[in-house]
Amino acid sequence: MAYRDLRSFLDKLEAEGQLVRVTQMTHPEPDLGSAARAVNNLGDQSPALLFNNIHGYKTGNVALNVIGSWPNHALMMGLPKDTPVKEQFLEFARRWNKFPVPVERVETAPFQANKITEDINLFEVLPLFRLNHEDSGCFIDKACVISRDLDDPENFQKQNVGIYRLQVKGKDKLGIQPIPTHDIGLHLKIAEERGENLPVTIAIGCDPVITTIAGSPLAYDQSEYEMAGAIQGEPYRIVQSKHSGLDIPWGAEVVLEGEIIAGYRELEGPFGEFTGSYSDARRQPVIQINAMYYRDNPIFEHLYLGMPWTELDYMTSVATSVPLYHQLKEAFPEVVAVNAMYTVGLVAIISTKTRYGGFAKAVGMRAMTTPHGLGYCKLVIVVDDFVDPFNVPQVMWALSTRVAPDKDMVMIPNASVLALDPSSDPPGITHKVVIDATTPKYPETRGEMFAPTVEPPRDTQKWETIIKQLMNK
Amino acid sequence: MYTCPRCDSNEADILCESPIKGCWIMYICPDCTFSWRSTEPETITNPKIYNPRFKVDTSDLSKYQIHPLIPQRRS
Repeated sequence: MAYRDLRSFLDKLEAEGQLVRVTQMTHPEPDLGSAARAVNNLGDQSPALLFNNIHGYKTGNVALNVIGSWPNHALMMGLPKDTPVKEQFLEFARRWNKFPVPVERVETAPFQANKITEDINLFEVLPLFRLNHEDSGCFIDKACVISRDLDDPENFQKQNVGIYRLQVKGKDKLGIQPIPTHDIGLHLKIAEERGENLPVTIAIGCDPVITTIAGSPLAYDQSEYEMAGAIQGEPYRIVQSKHSGLDIPWGAEVVLEGEIIAGYRELEGPFGEFTGSYSDARRQPVIQINAMYYRDNPIFEHLYLGMPWTELDYMTSVATSVPLYHQLKEAFPEVVAVNAMYTVGLVAIISTKTRYGGFAKAVGMRAMTTPHGLGYCKLVIVVDDFVDPFNVPQVMWALSTRVAPDKDMVMIPNASVLALDPSSDPPGITHKVVIDATTPKYPETRGEMFAPTVEPPRDTQKWETIIKQLMNK
Repeated sequence: MYTCPRCDSNEADILCESPIKGCWIMYICPDCTFSWRSTEPETITNPKIYNPRFKVDTSDLSKYQIHPLIPQRRS
């Protein structure tokens, strides 16, 4: 069954023992950021946190770490909370192929309960806070930002729902970081070429599926709403904004209507990013907020960023791996699985069958030319089909025993990468590497005589099942 | 006017007060867009001990990357 909003998912988490309510008085700084880091440190089974007593607020609700563990990620998909990661990946990949699922349009939504168009003050409604110590201010970092292609505004598929960091720069003003390779980067480029502001709608506190898909690298003309329908197994419910005509997740807690000012840049950042490093201050675009809507007693959902693993890594791990997997399979059906869950795919591990010597290197280079790979996939490790790319010891085994550095490393100089990669120089440019960790094949001269791999004994799989059954008794 | 802890501008001003009055005040600098809350530690609020690595010099903005570049208007 689909979750229509954040609240119903929080109820599910609580019923499953995956939500902790924090009722004690909590200071915006440093308590909320500290708690968010702390819960990430507790391991991959950690709960979501829901605060309701924020210093200075009459009704201040903050939700953190909502998808920040494997059980929570499984529950987001409607699966049992103990579903193994590889099974979550395969189920996500199966549902991905159900795309597109047409949306459900409705006329009204709970966020329309409260409307402000004059004297907007974000701080009155949202318990904003500084997340990491050196951040340049309060950020909104887990909101769905919706925009359209102004050259083709009626095209529903080209409407984008994405997650971009937003620095709060005033009562009604935000900074935004639109990555040029992302869809909103294309939308902004088109708007600025036309000399027009880009209308944007920002939906804060949404259901977990649209948030996950918004953080996933869909193709430019794929609708996030139609993909959310595929992943949740039911049409996704949206309501059209009377202000901008943009489509909004029905269950959003808070909705901001505004526009990115064309041709204007202003200092933004630093911000403690998903790379585990602070980004530099850069001159980035600004959003003017013109209207604000919110549900009664709204919940501000926020996400901790810092050295992995954090909630972001759970949220983007499977959702990033699956589109890379499908795009690679179009060219190379031999691909078995893709693990792009290390720092949103800056490192990607691909398992594949190989047809002949050199094959794996081509698979690795294709990963770098996918839309997501252009900004990520800096280090691509290609392993054999019998290696589980989600099993790091198996990947390390392949690296240890299959890689001859003089033959198996391919370096692509001065390739593109997102500017947030702290190792890029200048920001946005880096050398990239494919590491071929597959078993050599003819006509490679190593292929003929390469040491045979130890195969598992014949009934290993049968015994895995028997042992699992015994463990569950 | 107040001094910005990050860029030392004297143009910083009150951004807003807490919804429950008297709990805290938010300040913002119009020059470097830094904002801070009155209840934060001195390492954030005091210009003299703000982390030098993160100080900002607004006298020469050309050293800060434009991201993304502003494209040319269509003719």
